[in-house]
Amino acid sequence: MSSAIEVKHLCHQYGSRTIYRDLNFTVPTGTICGLLGKNGQGKTTLVNILMGFLKPTSGRCLVLGEDSCHLPPLTRARIGLLHEGHLAYEFLTIAQTERFFSGFYLGWEREIFFDLVDKMGLSPDHRICRMSCGQRSQVVLGVIMAQNPDLLILDDYSMGLDAGYRRLFLDVLKDFAALGDKTIFVTSHIVQDLEKLVDSMIFIDRGEIMQTELDSFMKSFHRYDFEDGGELSLDKDEVIRGFEQRGERISVYSFADQESVQFHLDSLGVHPEKMREKKMSLEDAFIGLMGKY
Amino acid sequence: MIYSIFYKEWIKARYFFLALVCLNTAVCLKIWVDIRQQLQAEHAEMIWYQAIHIQSFFYSDIRYFPLLSGICLAVVQFVPEILQKRLRLSLHLPVDRERLLAIFLALGLGLYTVLALLDTAAIWAVSRYYFPVEVAVSSLTTLLPWHYAGFVGYLGMSLILLEPAWSRRVFVFLVFSGFISLLFSGSGYCRLNPALPWLMLLAPLFFLTVFQGGSRFQQGEVT
Repeated sequence: MSSAIEVKHLCHQYGSRTIYRDLNFTVPTGTICGLLGKNGQGKTTLVNILMGFLKPTSGRCLVLGEDSCHLPPLTRARIGLLHEGHLAYEFLTIAQTERFFSGFYLGWEREIFFDLVDKMGLSPDHRICRMSCGQRSQVVLGVIMAQNPDLLILDDYSMGLDAGYRRLFLDVLKDFAALGDKTIFVTSHIVQDLEKLVDSMIFIDRGEIMQTELDSFMKSFHRYDFEDGGELSLDKDEVIRGFEQRGERISVYSFADQESVQFHLDSLGVHPEKMREKKMSLEDAFIGLMGKY
Repeated sequence: MIYSIFYKEWIKARYFFLALVCLNTAVCLKIWVDIRQQLQAEHAEMIWYQAIHIQSFFYSDIRYFPLLSGICLAVVQFVPEILQKRLRLSLHLPVDRERLLAIFLALGLGLYTVLALLDTAAIWAVSRYYFPVEVAVSSLTTLLPWHYAGFVGYLGMSLILLEPAWSRRVFVFLVFSGFISLLFSGSGYCRLNPALPWLMLLAPLFFLTVFQGGSRFQQGEVT
């Protein structure tokens, strides 16, 4: 299977602060990949590097087979890009936005734009600066979808959106993915939304990543709860990937099975009684793996 | 494609451009009213003495307006683009960055040229009506450095706004303001005539620096 995005040995620094060290991953064509990480882990930086808005310290990114630092116009025409904060030209009206962007794309689908935008019931002369964040997101989504791109890159599409607009966004993305051979690379703060959308995920934490299929991750990552009267402190290691204590309740997150975790805890001098596995949502698993802070 | 870029730039600039047309027209009208009143109130010999011997030109009120117009047009075009780095929207369009910026600048400089022609025509008409043709002709070469300052001011402000690093912004400001102050230096008619062709040779260089700013903006270079 060919790759829509290929990141090879990517390193990036802001001054003395290292954002990535030797990042490597691929996003196969026709898949939906979610990039998850806490604030400040470099999700937007990665999107900016992929789109040629930032020159990495070293390494290489290929987007639709082209070097991200020098994406030719024809390749850019195949990429629908949603900037963080639903960036739009706020001095334009809805109709002016459509007229402006339609001039750049041969396969521009005017009906798709107006189908999405008309749902808001606003006049075509409505200026974007007078819209709510949700309404603006709908216009931006209309622009991206009307381009009929092969690759969608969405940087935190859920930012500032209420449940209704988020659901609308997800529905459109699912319909888009169903067209086949369409690739979506998405970052979001609303982790549970991605559970319903993505095929694979990339977790990014302190410059390192873990790439996994959603199904296999949810099957292999476990949360075990037990109760302990005292104050407990467990460091992360090969077995314990996350640890949380609230009152007497302890949660341990691990890729290992219950027996192995029990044995490992025993070896650390912790002897949990009545330890049991608890079902997790993707958000629980994300917190378990990444921690709250 | 080119039409679409022009279209967006025009929407951004149109009201401000019309405001600048009104402002420049108002200044030209004031110049006309002033000289007319002066001619009615004073002897023609006195006006001639002031205009020719003292070289106090009656249109000096317009001196800094071309520069103001150039800077305003750059601000109107580029401030909406750099707020929240909106220029990334245009830089992602399927068009070369250099071509995109060239069209931005073509519209801005085109509008500036309209303003410059408006001022020049007005000053020429007033000069020609009240003074001999030699004075009218000399007004054109006297105005030229001021218009050139507006042209350089437009490009300088565009570059300052596009430039992502503050240290470079300060450097660009110093270089451009130094050059512009040179264009306003001295007094009297046609004072820069000998040097002006040489100074104008630098125009393509100023033009090209904006493209370097665009490249640095795109690659997010902050040092």
